[in-house]
Amino acid sequence: MNNRFVINYNPGPTFFHKLSGFTKVFMLLVMTVAIISTFDIRILVPLLIINVAIIVSMKPNYKPIIIVFSITFVTVTLIGNIMLFFVSPQAGLNNVGAEHIIWQAGRYYISKEFLWYIFIVFLKRTVSFASVMAFALSTTPSQFASGLNKCGFSYKISTIVSLAYRTIPDIAEDFVNIRNSMMMRGLELEGKGVSFFTKLKNYVLLLVPLIFTAFGKVGNIANAMDLRGYGKNKKRTYYAETEPTKGDKIVRALTVLLLVATVYYVVMYRFINPWPAKFWCPWLSRDEIVTVNAIDTLFFMKWFKK
Amino acid sequence: MKKPVIEFKDFTFRYQTQKNPTLKNINLTIYEGEKVLILGSSGSGKSTLCNCINGLIPFSFNGEITGSCKVNGNETRDSSIFKLSNDVGTVLQDSDAQFVGLTVGEDVAFVMENDVVPRKEMLPVIHENLNVVNMDAFIDHVPFRLSGGQKQKVSIAGVFSNDVKVLIFDEPLAALDPQMGMTAVALIDDLSKETNKTIIIVEHRLEDVLYKPVDRVILMSKGEIVADVSPEELLKSALLKESGIREPLYLTAMKYAGCEIGNVKNICDLETLELSAENKDKLVKFFREERETLKENDGENVISFKNVDFAYEGNEKVLKNVSFDVKKGERLAIIGKNGAGKSTAAKLICGIIRPTEGSVTIGDKETKDMTVKEIGEKVGYVMQDPNTMIVKDIIKDEVGLALTLRNMDEETVEGRVKNALETCNLYPMRNWPVDSISYGQKKRVTVASMMALEPDILILDEPTAGQDFKSYTDIMNFVNVLNKEYGKTILFITHDMHLAIENTDRAVVFADGELIDSNKVFSVLSNDETIKRAHLKQTSLYNLAVKIGVEPEVAIRHFIEFERGMKADEQ
Repeated sequence: MNNRFVINYNPGPTFFHKLSGFTKVFMLLVMTVAIISTFDIRILVPLLIINVAIIVSMKPNYKPIIIVFSITFVTVTLIGNIMLFFVSPQAGLNNVGAEHIIWQAGRYYISKEFLWYIFIVFLKRTVSFASVMAFALSTTPSQFASGLNKCGFSYKISTIVSLAYRTIPDIAEDFVNIRNSMMMRGLELEGKGVSFFTKLKNYVLLLVPLIFTAFGKVGNIANAMDLRGYGKNKKRTYYAETEPTKGDKIVRALTVLLLVATVYYVVMYRFINPWPAKFWCPWLSRDEIVTVNAIDTLFFMKWFKK
Repeated sequence: MKKPVIEFKDFTFRYQTQKNPTLKNINLTIYEGEKVLILGSSGSGKSTLCNCINGLIPFSFNGEITGSCKVNGNETRDSSIFKLSNDVGTVLQDSDAQFVGLTVGEDVAFVMENDVVPRKEMLPVIHENLNVVNMDAFIDHVPFRLSGGQKQKVSIAGVFSNDVKVLIFDEPLAALDPQMGMTAVALIDDLSKETNKTIIIVEHRLEDVLYKPVDRVILMSKGEIVADVSPEELLKSALLKESGIREPLYLTAMKYAGCEIGNVKNICDLETLELSAENKDKLVKFFREERETLKENDGENVISFKNVDFAYEGNEKVLKNVSFDVKKGERLAIIGKNGAGKSTAAKLICGIIRPTEGSVTIGDKETKDMTVKEIGEKVGYVMQDPNTMIVKDIIKDEVGLALTLRNMDEETVEGRVKNALETCNLYPMRNWPVDSISYGQKKRVTVASMMALEPDILILDEPTAGQDFKSYTDIMNFVNVLNKEYGKTILFITHDMHLAIENTDRAVVFADGELIDSNKVFSVLSNDETIKRAHLKQTSLYNLAVKIGVEPEVAIRHFIEFERGMKADEQ
């Protein structure tokens, strides 16, 4: 089986490929926290630059990344925003805290802040996509498992992760074989003139043998693990967790720095000196911002409020 | 005084889910450094016996134990599976399924990881263990890029450590092609010679294991030990036949020739076997005697490949310029090692893939003009593992599925299902749930579900893999009936040389995507070049013929003719 997409079972040659599993899992976790905690472009843009730089440094095959990105993100964002425009054009007011209308037609209008809102949400999604992609491209499943364990997760969870990856190629192969044999028996799984629901129904039929063969394998692998002492001790070490190199130490230090910065930012801008709106916006000063209860602005609320 | 490593005393074991004990009254002692073969057909209890040694019984499979089983002096039931794993290393039957790690190195490290060994200390041990099996260069490879033999070597490296006293190999030959099987047996022999470890091999392929000597054979049948003897004694006795084990082919030939085998020296090893002048004469006469020759099949072509190339999109060619014909009513073996192109050829016949160049014709139509569904009515493809084919609960429904999917009316479906079930001797079981039948019966159900479409051609993918001699014979007899009485053309995808010799007329051999030979079975199996390139091995008939100075091709041909003649007389 070829893994054409993002699963690499062997570490690649570049700097980030060679980092230890712990370094990369730790980095992903901290990045995720940083991305979740803010809608602030001043944080998101640097994170985006870092992650894109990481991806570029690994010289990956861009084609699948771009395909996934454009299908999932661009499409979802586009559809989402068009719907948002119809349902809740005041999203800008709710989240950014002001409205400078640039276009209006009756009930519907577009404000500068609405566009800013859309832009930031898209940026945030893009950053999370980039960080996950940077992680997935640089990390082998074994490193992922060992890194999780070193970050404090139980090794049973790590095992679930690595076994899942281990069996993907096998299950894919079984699936193809089962599908081929069923197609010969006349099960219609592709081609014209077959309705979507027939296809769906027929694919469900394939699950029976697939699950049965998978269960057979479960028993075998469980025995193999028992016989080789799995679960003997409370802890376990990992072959895939390489000793930290100089590069690891630097990246870990930088990650800690990012964590500190994130905590500082959250404490400063959320608690000590909170920004009055959810999103920071460069052309609005503190005094211009109106806080609105988002629920009040929903278009159907006016009927309840009479 | 030899030190006993494994001691069974009046040992009986019953699985919790079963009524009767699987092992009955076992008394057995195996000593340090011994190399023992545990021989028996499926269900004889040989695997259960091993699981009692490595601790899977009673720690993973529940059941009731009476009597005593000691490993390295400790009663197993008072020990734990972890403690036992320090003494006993087990290489399971399916080396694919037991591959836990995502790379070779990680898999070998698995035991040490569980022992919380720091990574730095692991590395030298991993290299050392991989060197034992000559796999060090593969340390970063992923499991699904390895061949069956390589996976097995990694499994050995994974359980091989200095402390392990006993190595158990559960059906080590099951997933290997003939040449790899030979390598595996040789490797096990090296391990046995170079270390003082006790080696236990569980197998039913006696001839293949005896390629290298073993100290003792323990023959099991129905949960009991029926013989604990040297291989010499075993081969000379009548026990093999009674227990459903296939005897070595050269021995069969000697018996056919009427040789007296009671006094033959070194009977286990064909190379050093001493043939008396009288026996030699008998054999030469047997191998040279002209008999009724096999009939030439001059039927019409049902499948024909013309200059077929195939490549998956953007990849290298998997098949290169392949041309061959299959005649109606023929039994054809498609032979070659994994990845040589034989399953690609089968897929081309079934229309799952279409040739990049050239043409594949079935009957009088090219596959490119037919849908997979249409081809399915002419060609039935039976996969290796019946569990991957069965989707319905009741046998009758399973067999009729292909017909209901084609929207045939109830009457036709019923009639055809009845025919198919009767052909396969399953009619009385038609309303049984599929779960309740044995593996061999399931195999028949899958054949019946193909037969329901009344195809002219059946392709059987490794029909006898993982089967013991008895179910092998059952399946092959059944397939031969389909061939003879119903005129079906049968294609076997296989690397079982016995199957090819006994049940096929012709063989096409693939290596590296090319068709390297297409000829009568006896010619293929006596062609050194073909044997080497296709990862086959010389059958012992070949070696026997060389030993007594008869041309192997002649010898194998006459042997086949004799056997077929004998079978014809029986019927």
